[in-house]
Amino acid sequence: MTRLAARAGVLLVLAVAVLGPLLVTGSPTEQVGVPYAPPGPGHPLGTDALGRDLLARVLTGGRVVVTLAAGATLLATALGVLVGVSAGLAPRHTADLLVRVTDLVAIVPAVLVMLVLAAGFPGSDLAVLAAVTLTTTPFSTRVVSAATRAVAGSGFVEVARGRGDTPAQVLRHDILPNIAGTVLTDAGIRFVAAVHLTATAGFLGLGRGAPAPNWGRMVQENLPGLSLTPLPVLVPALLIAVLAVSVNLVADDLAARTAGAT
Amino acid sequence: MTWGRFLLLRLAAAVAALAVVSVLVFAATAVLPGDAVGVLSGADTTAAQRATLRADLGLDRPAHERYLDWAGSLLRGDLGTALVGGRPVSDLLADRLPNSVLIAVLSLLLVAPLSVVCGLVAGMHPRAAADRAISTATLCGVALPEFVVASLLVTVLATWLGVLPRVSLVPLGGTPLDTPEILVLPVLSTVAVGLAAATRLIRTAAAQVATAPFVEAARLRGVTGPRLALRHVLPNAIGPAVQSLALVTAALVGGTVVVETIFSYPGIGYELQQAVANRDVPVVQGLTVVLAGIALVVLLLADVVARLVDPRQGRHP
Amino acid sequence: MTHHIGRRSMLRGGLVAAAALATGPALLAGCGSDADPTPSTPSGPPRRGGTLRAALVGVGAAETLSYFHGGTNLDFVRARAMHAALGNLDPTAPDGVRYEVLEGIDVSADLRSYTLRIRPGLTFSDGSPLTARDVLYSLITPNDDPRALGVYKTPGRNFDLAKAEVKDVRTLVLPTLAPIADGRLLLCQGNYLVLREGSRFEQNAPTSGPFRLTTFEPGQGTALVRNDEFALPGLDGAYLDGLELRNIPDSDARASALTNGQVDFAGDLAPITARTLDGDDRVVVTRSESPYVSGLFFRLDMTRKPFDDPRVRTAFKLAADRQAMLDTVLHGRGVIGNDLLSPGFPGYADGIEQRPFDPDGARALLAEAGARNLEVTLTTGPETPGMVEVATLYVENLKQIGVRATLRELPAGQLFADFPAYVKLPFAASFSVPVPPMPLYQVSYGGQNPSALGWNRPDVDALVTKARSTADPAEANRAAVAAQQAMWTDGNTIAPVFKPFVTATVPTLRGVREDLFEQFPGFSRASLR
Repeated sequence: MTRLAARAGVLLVLAVAVLGPLLVTGSPTEQVGVPYAPPGPGHPLGTDALGRDLLARVLTGGRVVVTLAAGATLLATALGVLVGVSAGLAPRHTADLLVRVTDLVAIVPAVLVMLVLAAGFPGSDLAVLAAVTLTTTPFSTRVVSAATRAVAGSGFVEVARGRGDTPAQVLRHDILPNIAGTVLTDAGIRFVAAVHLTATAGFLGLGRGAPAPNWGRMVQENLPGLSLTPLPVLVPALLIAVLAVSVNLVADDLAARTAGAT
Repeated sequence: MTWGRFLLLRLAAAVAALAVVSVLVFAATAVLPGDAVGVLSGADTTAAQRATLRADLGLDRPAHERYLDWAGSLLRGDLGTALVGGRPVSDLLADRLPNSVLIAVLSLLLVAPLSVVCGLVAGMHPRAAADRAISTATLCGVALPEFVVASLLVTVLATWLGVLPRVSLVPLGGTPLDTPEILVLPVLSTVAVGLAAATRLIRTAAAQVATAPFVEAARLRGVTGPRLALRHVLPNAIGPAVQSLALVTAALVGGTVVVETIFSYPGIGYELQQAVANRDVPVVQGLTVVLAGIALVVLLLADVVARLVDPRQGRHP
Repeated sequence: MTHHIGRRSMLRGGLVAAAALATGPALLAGCGSDADPTPSTPSGPPRRGGTLRAALVGVGAAETLSYFHGGTNLDFVRARAMHAALGNLDPTAPDGVRYEVLEGIDVSADLRSYTLRIRPGLTFSDGSPLTARDVLYSLITPNDDPRALGVYKTPGRNFDLAKAEVKDVRTLVLPTLAPIADGRLLLCQGNYLVLREGSRFEQNAPTSGPFRLTTFEPGQGTALVRNDEFALPGLDGAYLDGLELRNIPDSDARASALTNGQVDFAGDLAPITARTLDGDDRVVVTRSESPYVSGLFFRLDMTRKPFDDPRVRTAFKLAADRQAMLDTVLHGRGVIGNDLLSPGFPGYADGIEQRPFDPDGARALLAEAGARNLEVTLTTGPETPGMVEVATLYVENLKQIGVRATLRELPAGQLFADFPAYVKLPFAASFSVPVPPMPLYQVSYGGQNPSALGWNRPDVDALVTKARSTADPAEANRAAVAAQQAMWTDGNTIAPVFKPFVTATVPTLRGVREDLFEQFPGFSRASLR
């Protein structure tokens, strides 16, 4: 039941975010009425701080959050697998040190990295992507290296090596298939974190600026008018929340099944 | 591994990490376009005056020289002087750090017991009603970004109901403890996020222990409820629990930019944001290194505690 | 919620970009601040006592006591509380100014020499006398400091301070660099305060203003108490016992702090914040009126294509839907602009026809200029509430006349942070501070000013010089109007709307407006009933 709801949630929000821009008929940046108008004919969700159609902005404002988060997750997971697997297969002391240092680098607050990069590359979504990737990678690395070590220590890698398999073969046939579940689950968790960070970037005014719609930024933009109409704040906030909760649930589900399988 | 060797290795790793962090932050702030001279001078400042100002601040020297200078001073315990405003960075830290630490400590005081209790209750009986309730609640907690939680709390408790102050104004010449009510909303915001994260981590640890043979054995002997949880599960789950709390604490100290900004709370995160905007490299560097240092100390302590409480750790090669 | 990183650079930059900051409100004689007294102001004589808590926009821990370096609202409000001014603009007073430290200024017939007479019996907070040497020191100090804001260097650009002469303890003679008629207004525009000779803004330095400092916590606030040594004719010290100035960078938060009872005064509120406060009987909302309004404007670089073509510039001006900007961004409370800064000031050319919203005309002009499929990028930043919003609407307006316009929004504090980079932008947003038209022209457009962006008109420069140095008001006005007509026709400024400075206070507070220079509220005459 929860599983179903979670998947439905993910699909729904992803659909809104990814397909939303295709569904929009009007312009998300054009002024169509008075600011903070309540829902009415033509504008089912009312208008925002500048009298723009809220529905159009909601439909177009998710893509940047989701694509940035997804891009950062992909990059971070790829990097995490690369570094994590090497660390997991390296001699124990080298690996320990590597993981330890990565681990500690991860304590730099993600928001700080975003602030610094955004100060150097103002108005750039790529700066946000880079910051999120940088701060997410250490966590992936840690998880992947632990999983790799567990697989490497489990005996059948020894057997494979004994058979004379090359390291590449071992990697392909023994290591990667066995850590795939863990990597996938971890990617789910990283994705949630990445959604948070990209939304927070929007809220703090980092990344691409006005008039581009962005769910995080919309919360910030419309907060002063909350007492006039709550929808321009609540709708994007709710979408971010639903996306994060349902991705979390799916990741949990994956984790449970991975755990069950091994 | 002996204690001495253990501590030495951990410390070495911490120092290495600190060095890596400081180089990265310096590189990022020094290499990016623009510098503090732009912030300090106005429209009518001539190019020559800008050059003088840049030289005065020492910003005309190569980046690696500036970094080595900074690192050398740091080793002597000197954090340098802010480019904008000219205050010693250590002054600024003395002013703001206690405020941020206060929020982190208060949040931890709430998060630690609550997360351990909730995590144990949920983890002891996975998929039971209590677990479902707790897991769902924490799931929503971690799913909400801090700015959403804080904005909602502000709207309901400060703007609509008016029961708590909207802005965390510390009395001039006093400390936040003189007016404890200003701490409630910032602490609630950080607790909401930290509690959810810590509970989930502890639940996972407890759930693993709860299925271990010795717990089964205890169950068969008729040990149940709180006694089982406290005597058998907790001691074996405490290592991961401490680690989880340490991670959450480190995040609390470092990740306060959003909360401090929303409440205008005079902490380190707020200053960090200003310093980055001002390109005030010494301040960014000083704050980052101290933040990282605190987080490292917390993680180190957690390692020590975990080693102390976990009977198996010492026996590992 | 508004962004508020780096307010320092905001005011620093905004003021400069607007006008390299207030030079000197000239030609103000006869002008009235037409703002009505607040309807709910209690009547009766002011009561003594009480501490006023005011929330203003400041910076973080980088805050210092040197107002020469700090460009925030809080910086100058604090300075006004601590240091007495030479005088303030007061259209109802005989010279157009209300003198404070000065008793009066005598101008020589050839407009080449100004004699400042200092009021007798003035003392600093430690009881030491305030002399002509202190006044001269206060005017000279910021001149050679590259970090000092431009406004504080204005006296040095109009007077030959090196040749200034201290005749006696109460008399200072300032020769001008060129004849000027508006020197009184320039010196008494409220910005020039008196420090003690040799003062370096130490925390315990003696000060001349209505309050003296007790606690200074950079980034958090300043606590002050009444300075018992401060007295002016008709004002025997401040009414308030104490004053607390708190830094709350966010407009919404300042308003909530007021309604929650955390402060008694909230300064510089965003238009939307003001709208949500209207009708709340716990507070009184006050909006400054023309001329004390801030322009949200755009400027074009005339040396770059396509803006070198006057038809393109005019098309861009016609494209702006000013009424929509006023209604949406300023919630109907503000002034429609006519592409000239300083509306409402004496000398402002209000006889020039209002430029209409005419997208068809704009399209026709673009077609005539052969400017098809123009691609332009408008750069802006959240440096003052409303700035990004007006730019957002303007980009939509430009799209409607067939221009492929995009908006580039920089994070807070960055637009003006690197000023040489800012003046290289072909098309960017800015905001203005209330400065009369002629001094503003000299600072922003005259000569080879880099912020003039290609405006190079010696004939107009000459008209402005004439307007400032002619003793006959009618003749001066004719020159001023002719200069502005040229700016209106050929200029590179699109100024669609001007927004008021909005403050909100508890209903019991009175006497702030009586202290003049409202954008930086002073509290020497304020009282809590």
